[in-house]
Amino acid sequence: MSIEAVDTRARGLRPRAASDTVGRRALLRRLDWLLLAALAGTAAYGLWAIDGITMHDAGGSAVTRQALYAFVGVVVFVGVLFVDPDRYRRLWRPIYFGTLGLMVFVLVAGAATRGSKRWVDVGAFKFQPSEFGKVLFVLVLAGFLAERTRSINSAGTPLAALGYGLVPIVLVFVQPDIGTALVYMSALAAVLFVAGVRWWRLGALAAATAVVALSVLWIMPAAGVNVLNPYQSARLTGFTHPGNDPRGATYNLRQSITAVGAGGLRGRGVLGATQTRLNYLPEHATDFAFASLAEERGFFGASILLLLYLLVVWRALKIVTSARDMFSAIVAGGIAFMFMFQVFVNAAMTMGIAPITGIPLPFVSVGGSSIITNFLAVGILQAIHMRRPGRRRS
Amino acid sequence: MASWTGDTPARPGRFLPGDPRVEEPYRLTPQLAFRVAILAFVALGVFAVLFLRLWALQVLSGDKYLAVANDNRVRTLRLEAPRGPVIDSNGHVLVENVPGTRVELWPADLPKNWPAQRRELRALSDVTGIPLREILAQMNRHAGDPLTPIVVQRGLRQDQILYLREHGFQFPGVRLAHSYLRKYPYRALAAQVLGYVGQISPEEYKTLKKRGYQPTDSIGQAGIESTYDTYLRGKDGKAQLTVDSRGRPKGAITPLANYTPGQALRLTIDIGLQRAAEKALVYGIQRAHDASYARADGGAIVALNPNDGAILAMASYPTYQPSIFVGRKDPKKLAPLLDPAVAEADNHPGINRAINAAYPPGSTFKPVTALAAMQEHLVTPYQTLLCSPDYLAYKQTFHNWTDLIYQWIDLKTALAMSCDTYFYELGKRFYLLPPDRGHPLQGWANRFGLGEKTSVDVGPEVPGLIPTPEWRRQAYPASQGFGIVDRTWKPGYSIQMAIGQGQILVTPLQMARLYALIANGGKLVTPHIADDVELTGSGGQPARVLRRFGAQPAQPTGVDPTALSYVQQGLEEATHSAIGTSAGVFGSFPVDIAGKTGSAEKTVRLPGFPNPSPEVQSWWCGYGPYDKPTIVVCALIENGGHGGTSAAPAALKVFEHYFGKTGQLSTHISD
Repeated sequence: MSIEAVDTRARGLRPRAASDTVGRRALLRRLDWLLLAALAGTAAYGLWAIDGITMHDAGGSAVTRQALYAFVGVVVFVGVLFVDPDRYRRLWRPIYFGTLGLMVFVLVAGAATRGSKRWVDVGAFKFQPSEFGKVLFVLVLAGFLAERTRSINSAGTPLAALGYGLVPIVLVFVQPDIGTALVYMSALAAVLFVAGVRWWRLGALAAATAVVALSVLWIMPAAGVNVLNPYQSARLTGFTHPGNDPRGATYNLRQSITAVGAGGLRGRGVLGATQTRLNYLPEHATDFAFASLAEERGFFGASILLLLYLLVVWRALKIVTSARDMFSAIVAGGIAFMFMFQVFVNAAMTMGIAPITGIPLPFVSVGGSSIITNFLAVGILQAIHMRRPGRRRS
Repeated sequence: MASWTGDTPARPGRFLPGDPRVEEPYRLTPQLAFRVAILAFVALGVFAVLFLRLWALQVLSGDKYLAVANDNRVRTLRLEAPRGPVIDSNGHVLVENVPGTRVELWPADLPKNWPAQRRELRALSDVTGIPLREILAQMNRHAGDPLTPIVVQRGLRQDQILYLREHGFQFPGVRLAHSYLRKYPYRALAAQVLGYVGQISPEEYKTLKKRGYQPTDSIGQAGIESTYDTYLRGKDGKAQLTVDSRGRPKGAITPLANYTPGQALRLTIDIGLQRAAEKALVYGIQRAHDASYARADGGAIVALNPNDGAILAMASYPTYQPSIFVGRKDPKKLAPLLDPAVAEADNHPGINRAINAAYPPGSTFKPVTALAAMQEHLVTPYQTLLCSPDYLAYKQTFHNWTDLIYQWIDLKTALAMSCDTYFYELGKRFYLLPPDRGHPLQGWANRFGLGEKTSVDVGPEVPGLIPTPEWRRQAYPASQGFGIVDRTWKPGYSIQMAIGQGQILVTPLQMARLYALIANGGKLVTPHIADDVELTGSGGQPARVLRRFGAQPAQPTGVDPTALSYVQQGLEEATHSAIGTSAGVFGSFPVDIAGKTGSAEKTVRLPGFPNPSPEVQSWWCGYGPYDKPTIVVCALIENGGHGGTSAAPAALKVFEHYFGKTGQLSTHISD
């Protein structure tokens, strides 16, 4: 490392263009190998799991298609490694408005699927802007907050960030895709948290969120204003009283808990997992994939996946601390928390301790947009890690 | 774009401005490190929660959920056992089974969302013709048990079966299963005796579930189908089937236990005699109509073996076809049996008048009076009393049934010509007995089986009524506004009762039992209709009797054989001497028949008439052959006039069939 001595006070400071001086091969050597291993492990394990989960479905195993998406994801991952995250910081405005434009486009012209408009057709493929939007959302907010690092303690910055954040959240919410909207909210919270917004402002924000949630789920319906469809609020609140409506909203939940429980320690195998095979467990390839995995592979099988997730989260948090600048730290923190939030809400919902929302299980649930987005997210983490300051081996 | 690419503002506390060429260094501040640590703890907590929950569900409660999951997919099917046949004493099949198809609804396998479920049920209702309302009501009754199917209908037509098979995919949760339907080769014959089979009612299920009945079982609802349900029903088999979440079967049916068919029930009834009795009823009513008793519209005939109480025939008119309860039910056809208003208009075809309806016995009761009077030494067989057109007592005039007589007669003659005034006198003598003697007339009537149920093995049965002063006091309590006059037992009641009038009520079967007692020398038999249960022989093998019900030994009543013989002679004279009340009917019959007519006044409310009117109930009870009786016949024609007009000729028809001989009617005045 060669430091241009400008000033004795400048010791420890580095020239602006320092990162650009490192070659590509040198960069690759700075990869977080543990995170890479966790990524490869999770992706491979997810493919294996989804093969068993979808084996008996009408269309046959989805593993080939899913592997294709994973391959695209790997390509995206490798590509992202060579993009300096600083570019995202500089480009946050175009990214933001581009994403918003896509989301509006989805709302206006997107294909209506299962009562909600989430997909955009691109030739033979459909993609879900809100899924990619998760990562972009973190990049945008991080870009904005990094710009305002100095005024982070003022009231204006968090409020402005909230304003930027709420627009896509509302757009996703009205698709309607409450699950993804929740993920966006978690990302917003994480980003504000890592950026250093004051504790009491975070507390006030949490309280305000709680008030909004309460009024949407309880006070406003009681007053006769229904923001959510009845089925939506039944799904969100159903887990608190599962025995209530065995044939209705909590039917899925009971079947899911049954599937998880029936898996036992070692699992029932692909053939023996009747909850999945005979279709008692609905949406087992997507929203309830965790329950299906738990039924087929048991406590051991589900635990392996959870441990792989934990490894990813741990490495992501590690990268927050080794980040080169504030922007990178915020991005890594946002991605880490968002990832953890998705894992938790999805797995917990299948076990009856979280509301039922349509959140895909990272690297497992069938769906191209989701898996590619996850590769993208981990790719950005790696890109940040590779550009960390410190001893370089070049 | 970033703000720090421009001029770096001078910071307080620093004396040199920042160098524009160097970037503000990013450092991991303690604050950020703290926050990352918090995130790490949150992550650990989150994963700990997930692991704990997973452990709790899979390891701690795994077995429980495994059981739930298995219940989910495995359906236990019922293999319906064919119900046992009912045969008559000669082995003629009265009720048998024909294979059919039933539609079952498995609530657990119906579509989960309500509109789709509703659509399917409506379609099912359209195909089967069962009103949607009824299907929903059934589902509601079984709401707590989604894994037990509801039987929507038994006995589908071929086109309905084909439709449901072809459109099976539109009907998840609907399954066709083998079933058996009752078939009645003799159509309406013995309808009230046989009863019918129907779905178990929620009340019945509550009391019967301890005995292994299922909420969707069929059960005998009346007659012997109900009494002997445990023998007839057999035992259902079981099979298992794996289904997917939409109720579609996956894989083959695995049998677990085969069914045991129901056992055959042999009755003491002779279907030939039964047919003769039912025809005789129609004939008797026709006779009444011809004799201008236009309101004759019902009746009953019981034929009994006087020695063991076996019921040889039990007819009740009007009647119905039991087949209306089988398979596709037509509410219009069922209304006379189930809707009280329609039943009344059709004169209650569902009631078995031989046991479930009570009438005043009229003169057929006189043998009881005669026996009781002799037993209590109120009269001797040869003591003569005046038979006159009127009898005066207690400032009241009691009329004889005929004005054309004025002579002193003995007991035999009094029975033969059914002289009312003779028995009025006996009634007065009973009334005048000191209180410490009790009420011997009622006492003997009770001993002869009147005023209480006969405990025949087919129901329902009414006990009838033998009124006593005690009964009167209780039946007319002051609390309901009755005065002391109403509660008092008046001499007229005893006098009326002596000829079987007043408030006394008996059933035709009770009277048949009474005459069996006269025929067999004073023993009270227990009437019964089931002979045994057996396995029907197949392939030339003889039937194997599993359990014989048979006759219970006749109970001696302590009646004096000599006194009884005078009554027997009186009854024989009644059918043969010139003064006998049914001599015109039985006098020329080749077999020696003894018996008594009865013409009982009963106040009845007839449909279409605003006020109750007194109508004469036509009775005849008797037995033959006189010296060695093998059959007792008791006939009753409602509103049929004098006993000799309609009941006696009807009874003759039964004897004609029984003995294989024909009789001759001659015109005769009778009581």
